[in-house]
Amino acid sequence: MNGPGERRGEVQALQGALADAGYVAEPGLAAAVLLMLELGRPLLVEGDAGVGKTEIALAVARARGARLIRLQCYEGLDVQAAMYEWNYQRQLLAIKLLEHDDRPAAAKEQDIFSERYLLRRPLLEAIGCAEAPVLLIDEVDRADEAFEAYLLELLSDFQLSIPELGTVRAVTRPWVVLTSNGTRELSDALRRRCLYQYIDYPDADKERAIVELHMPHAGDALARQVVQFVQDVRRMDLRRKPGIAETLDWTAALLRLGITTLHPDGAARILDTLAALVKTREDRTAFTRDAVERLAAAC
Amino acid sequence: MLNVVPCAPVDFGAALRERIAGFASFLRDQGFGLGGADPLRALDAAVRAGALERDVLRWNLKALLCGRADEWRRFDALFDAWFVPPNRSVFSLADAAGGPAGPPEGAAPGAPTGPSSGREGEGEHAPPERHAASRDEALASMPFDALRPDADALAMEALMRRFARCLHPLRLRRQRPFHHGRRLDVRATLRRSVATGGMPLRLAWRDCRRVRPRVVLLLDVSRSMRAYGFFWLRLARALCGELADVHVFIFHTRLTPVGEALRDPDPWRAQERLHLLAAGWGGGTRIGECLAEFERRHAPRLVHARTGIVVVSDGYDAGEPASLAQALAALRRRARRLAWLNPLLGRPGWHPDGRAMQAALPHVDLFAPGASLADIERALPRLVETLA
Repeated sequence: MNGPGERRGEVQALQGALADAGYVAEPGLAAAVLLMLELGRPLLVEGDAGVGKTEIALAVARARGARLIRLQCYEGLDVQAAMYEWNYQRQLLAIKLLEHDDRPAAAKEQDIFSERYLLRRPLLEAIGCAEAPVLLIDEVDRADEAFEAYLLELLSDFQLSIPELGTVRAVTRPWVVLTSNGTRELSDALRRRCLYQYIDYPDADKERAIVELHMPHAGDALARQVVQFVQDVRRMDLRRKPGIAETLDWTAALLRLGITTLHPDGAARILDTLAALVKTREDRTAFTRDAVERLAAAC
Repeated sequence: MLNVVPCAPVDFGAALRERIAGFASFLRDQGFGLGGADPLRALDAAVRAGALERDVLRWNLKALLCGRADEWRRFDALFDAWFVPPNRSVFSLADAAGGPAGPPEGAAPGAPTGPSSGREGEGEHAPPERHAASRDEALASMPFDALRPDADALAMEALMRRFARCLHPLRLRRQRPFHHGRRLDVRATLRRSVATGGMPLRLAWRDCRRVRPRVVLLLDVSRSMRAYGFFWLRLARALCGELADVHVFIFHTRLTPVGEALRDPDPWRAQERLHLLAAGWGGGTRIGECLAEFERRHAPRLVHARTGIVVVSDGYDAGEPASLAQALAALRRRARRLAWLNPLLGRPGWHPDGRAMQAALPHVDLFAPGASLADIERALPRLVETLA
């Protein structure tokens, strides 16, 4: 058993490492990532769009100096696009070239179905790495159920069978991060195999830390005002709440226009930059000049 | 760089082990979807956490034992209830699962904890629910006896089978391999030709994927709909048995998903679960707010361009007609078709001239009566037509 303070120390060390990699993680999230690294179980991350789900995988890869392999899921994603495919064109070419070869047919066949003609897609790639990579399976809810079932098999024993080649076993176990937006309910079987983390919109302190980490030149005062403004915007009844990416975009937009402080008098100029923060037409109508003045006055 | 050292399980006291295993079964009683191996994993995580550090233990168990967002939100309260020494009452939850009791910290294992206080009522097991009671919520709950199988239920199931059968699959643009498809699958044909030395002898075909439309049922179970509530729930249950992609919600002053309860293969248990969900059943209606809530919370996940939404309500709404119209317009944009079945329509002398109905009608693709099996039998072909 670890000593009482030891584990907390490890969690803090990981938090620090993630911060160096540009990611501000709560201790709870850091503890879950630590558990993922130790147990080798996949980490399923859910939360609204723009709260930094995908970033976790990038940050873990950077913090551990591991390679990041990314599989973006979409409706209709199939095994050929996710696992492997034979390079038929090259195989056919090889057949033509081998026609005048006098080796036995079996040897030729073995040659044609060798790894040279295998196109490695992300999942096979992740299994074959000599050093454990971070495998990011992004928006797994967009893929259909059939693919999810296939994924389950892969995630439980990290091996993959190619009929012509045999079974490929993982050299090292990749660290798997799955993200989901909730377009479709994921199966319980998948959930049970994963560690789970739900990420909410950040509170003001965390968001300020993020802004300061990514935009050190913004300055304390502007960072505080921007975060306050965005937090107030999130409390409004909007169709699409701005995420962290929007906060950062907006800060960049403000800086670009030379706005260094949010003031009610500058509402017109703030309105010019809101395209970075508000992304639907209905939401845009909620931001009248008055509303922006009120929001700016509150920060 | 961090070094991760796998640590061997260490034997801590039997009391602590029981306590953590008990926590897993406690969570299972609270409706968490845990597998058989989860208690062991929890124990392993506890070993790693050092078990003495409550926060680290909390984070580890949270990552391990939660599977979805609502479990995530409830976890902290449940964790506190189990591990933080209570200063008021003792929890009597462990005996429910037959698992070991979770003694509060410091108490000797085996000390009289849960069982002595007994199980006075099921209600005590539930953690305090967080939804606020709304103003005209009747606390009466309905008997769901009507859900048990009988002759009527058989007729209903037959009707729903017919409905499911004539619900034609929609063509998608997305293609997949088909034995007798319409287009040549060049890639797969080439792939096959490798076996015949590059001669494409066996052709492969593709065709568009077809899927049945998704159906979302929104059932009004307010007081005025009392006479039809059971009937529609039974229909919904029969439909859930026929089609996989059916999602059912009931609403009165609140919106509640009931699909999972309806799908329970045991009719008694389904009834029990509906009982729990039906708090406030039979009260007033706020159709507009409920539909708006559906649009905001569930529609992004459930409603796509192949979804048919069926609202079953009499249109007596205590809320603002404007909000109803707005919610329906938003749903109409998302869904393929929006149908409204009104049990009152078709009654002699009744006209849909209430404010809510008037606000709703411009946004509805199909407006039909829905008070009896015969009505629905008549409405179904039209419903299927709109979903084709």
